[in-house]
Amino acid sequence: MDQAQQRSFAVISHVDHGKSTLSDRLLQITGTVSDRDMREQFLDRMDLERERGITIKAAAVRMTYTAADKTTYQLNLIDTPGHVDFGYEVSRSLAACEGVLLLVDAAQGIQAQTLTNLYLAVDANLEVIPVLNKIDLPAAQPEKYAAEIASLIGCDVADIFQISAKTGQGVPELLDAIVERIPPPAGDPDAPLRALVFDSVYDVYRGVVAYIRVVDGSLKARAPVRFMVAGHDAEADEIGIMAPDSTPVVELFTGEVGYLISGIKDVSLVKVGDTVTPRPAPDVEALAGYREPKPMVFAGIYPINGDDFPLLRDALDKLKLNDGALVYEPESSGALGFGFRCGFLGLLHMEIVRERLEREFDLELIVSAPSVGYEVQLDDRKKEIVRNPSEMPDRSRIEEIYEPYVSVMVVTPSEYTGPVIQMCQDRRGELKEMHYLSPERVEIRYHMPLGEIIFDFFDQLKSATKGFASLDYEPVGMYASDLVKVDVLLNSQPVDAFSTIVHRNKAYDYGKAMTERLRKLIPRQMFDVPIQAAIGSRVIARETVKAKRKDVLAKCYGGDVSRKRKLLERQKEGKRRMKQIGLVEVPQSAFIEALRVDSDSTSA
Amino acid sequence: MITQVGDRTSRWTADPGFGVYLHIPFCRHRCHYCDFNTYEGQEGLHLAYVDALITDIGNCDPGGRRATSIFFGGGTPTLLPASGLARILRAVAHNVGLDPGAEVTVEANPETVDEAKFDALLEAGFNRVSIGIQSLVPEVLTRLGRTHSPERALEAVGAARRAGFEEVNADLMYGSPWESTSDWMTSLEGVVAAGPDHISAYALTVEEGTPLHTLVASGRAPDVDPDIQAERHELASEVLSAAAYERYEVSNWALPGHASRHNVLYWSAGDYLGLGAGAHGHRSGRRYWNEKLPREFVSRVSAQRSTESGSELLDAGTRAGEAMMLGLRLASGVQLDEFTRRYGPEWLDGRAAVLAQLEAGGFLERSEGWLRLSAGSTLVANDVLCRLL
Repeated sequence: MDQAQQRSFAVISHVDHGKSTLSDRLLQITGTVSDRDMREQFLDRMDLERERGITIKAAAVRMTYTAADKTTYQLNLIDTPGHVDFGYEVSRSLAACEGVLLLVDAAQGIQAQTLTNLYLAVDANLEVIPVLNKIDLPAAQPEKYAAEIASLIGCDVADIFQISAKTGQGVPELLDAIVERIPPPAGDPDAPLRALVFDSVYDVYRGVVAYIRVVDGSLKARAPVRFMVAGHDAEADEIGIMAPDSTPVVELFTGEVGYLISGIKDVSLVKVGDTVTPRPAPDVEALAGYREPKPMVFAGIYPINGDDFPLLRDALDKLKLNDGALVYEPESSGALGFGFRCGFLGLLHMEIVRERLEREFDLELIVSAPSVGYEVQLDDRKKEIVRNPSEMPDRSRIEEIYEPYVSVMVVTPSEYTGPVIQMCQDRRGELKEMHYLSPERVEIRYHMPLGEIIFDFFDQLKSATKGFASLDYEPVGMYASDLVKVDVLLNSQPVDAFSTIVHRNKAYDYGKAMTERLRKLIPRQMFDVPIQAAIGSRVIARETVKAKRKDVLAKCYGGDVSRKRKLLERQKEGKRRMKQIGLVEVPQSAFIEALRVDSDSTSA
Repeated sequence: MITQVGDRTSRWTADPGFGVYLHIPFCRHRCHYCDFNTYEGQEGLHLAYVDALITDIGNCDPGGRRATSIFFGGGTPTLLPASGLARILRAVAHNVGLDPGAEVTVEANPETVDEAKFDALLEAGFNRVSIGIQSLVPEVLTRLGRTHSPERALEAVGAARRAGFEEVNADLMYGSPWESTSDWMTSLEGVVAAGPDHISAYALTVEEGTPLHTLVASGRAPDVDPDIQAERHELASEVLSAAAYERYEVSNWALPGHASRHNVLYWSAGDYLGLGAGAHGHRSGRRYWNEKLPREFVSRVSAQRSTESGSELLDAGTRAGEAMMLGLRLASGVQLDEFTRRYGPEWLDGRAAVLAQLEAGGFLERSEGWLRLSAGSTLVANDVLCRLL
């Protein structure tokens, strides 16, 4: 279709603010999905089915819409990942658009992540169409939140659409606005092909499916192509669009959005942000903005049952096929056995990987306390990257330790400003900005160490603000800090799984909390078990698990030797599942509980 | 500390003799904590059972070995008339043979014995009696479901003594949730004063399948507290050792030279015949057990069918492990050269590292070729054994 009649846009929205329902209405009103086939959350369901191997991801859906001016337009609805961990992927998805719908729940107002993505869209010079959703709800306060949005993006309150995606109220008007206000793509149809890879997914049968936006030129089916950054050559075996089912086409024209299957089996060859060009390679520049995914959070993943190690390796290899950002290498822990040190984009990414390993591969796992990556400057001028506290070099050799900082954005009702600031200060935060979105709501920006927010920051933020605050963060660089490694010793034996790196001022708190936690989790043994936290050889906290006093069969005579032996064998079997640290037997559950980071803390 | 007088040793031995266990599966009243094979209200069956048991004794093959110890257990053997017990014992003497000086024990409930009965038992050839006293505090006895009084229990000990039994054991039970420290002290002191030469003191164990277990599991009775039981065990050790009793097994104390030979045979993994309903026997690594139900036992005998209902053959490793599990219950521990001679070197060799670790940790002691639990780890023997087995 003619470039002038194309409109590509994404929906920026917080979880539950109605993105899926709005997509349903758009699919329905444009006739992309018939009323008969319509089901709630249509695209989400397609994704779920994709997980079960039925169809491929609805990363971009093409709709055809005849507007009030009687002209027929091609609308491309481009999906964006919903979380800060995937900020880079969001930026690439936005790079495939000319406009966004800023969709805000009229009962809740704009949330931190939405704000982050909005800023991304504004930075990318995209047309922003503000939309208040759920105006049919009794709790809706459209005037209040419209004012907030207006001041935020500098528009007139009257320009903000008020809709109910559920009832469809206001959606046709919104469609017309999309056509009127979002500009058509600006690419050069006569230039050599340049297509942006903005998403990809691995299909067991087809290999890697790349989602692309044709920026310049056009792409024909079966054309030889090159992935520029990866330096990989392939053929366009199949190209097509999602409408919403995948539909092969013979050519994707300038500005169009679709998928590209080229027989590539290795997802790392199809990088989000890469540029697809023809072969032989013309003299063109790669599209701007490509970045290598950078793991920010690290954790050891261990099978509870040591025999499952090969299964875990296979599972990670398979996950890696459609998760190019996941990195892992084998490591061994004295306490947890053999496992993998994994690197994640962030906490949600970590939680997703863990859940998929457990759910899709039926593995029982222990995940060690998450850590960030530190840069350690040694006295011999060498620099080491430390992603696991047990790798921390001896203190005497360390000149300086650098840790990653993030810019944290909290959006909260202003009555909770005090507690939020207190929390951030306690976590070594430095206040950068406070911005009132409205008299009732404030956006607070802090710079703070990433290591301070990967444990329970989100949980505490939620409880400090009765659940009203939202959180977002992005990396801002490495800074020197006064950090120490705290070891935990059971019966004088260090347990690597419990070592951590913390700021010197927090070492005592960590040591005290961990020793107390372990005292409650470690069952009594046949001797007193001291639990110590130490920095080097200096003990900073100590607890004791008192010896159990009686664990003996009162009677054992000729009539019950076999039974008593079996009783002992059962008891022994129970102990076999424990980890032995010196003479101390530690149940797996103690590791799991002691290392537990409440999963809620990651679902920002 | 460890005493040996004649044949009556309290030490582990590689050659503990040959035992005969006879099971009398009847009680007047079943205690709610009991998980033994015993039945109430089968009085009509008693006589037939005695006859069947005698027949079955006639059928058994002692392999040319004579009994060095015989033990009538239950149930309540003394629920049977002395004449019945005498007939059974005669059958054993006739078909198996008795070593001169064999120990012949009968378990007795205080309510089922008096001096006359003890006279008759002594006359029949019994020379050791084990009396179930459990407690000398009425409230505790009632809670345990015991129907005898403290006076009756003590009187039974006196009666056995007056009849001329030289070997008298008193069974006690401690650590029930209804017992205080002073209750336990009362029981200990009362029993010591009655002067048995042997005292068994067991921690109340809530066994699965018992009415007590159901009560505890459903919260209708408090559970036992292992810490309190440990304290009671320590108190027993103090009081009894002050009265010259030596603890020679986890739950058994005796005056020097008065250990139970039959029980030392069990803990030395010796061979014994198991006769009667539900009785277990052991012959050179083969364990077997008999039909449990008395009525079914009787009908098997009358149908000339085997009364054995199951068996297991222990492999060398299991046999050695079992021997260690049993032997470490004895305060003497296990004589390692003898152990190796009997079970081969593999078991110990394969555990050299963990043995060294447990010795270094002070949980096991080794001296003059004996391996034993240290005094401090007797009460956590399961933990030690789990590491060893």
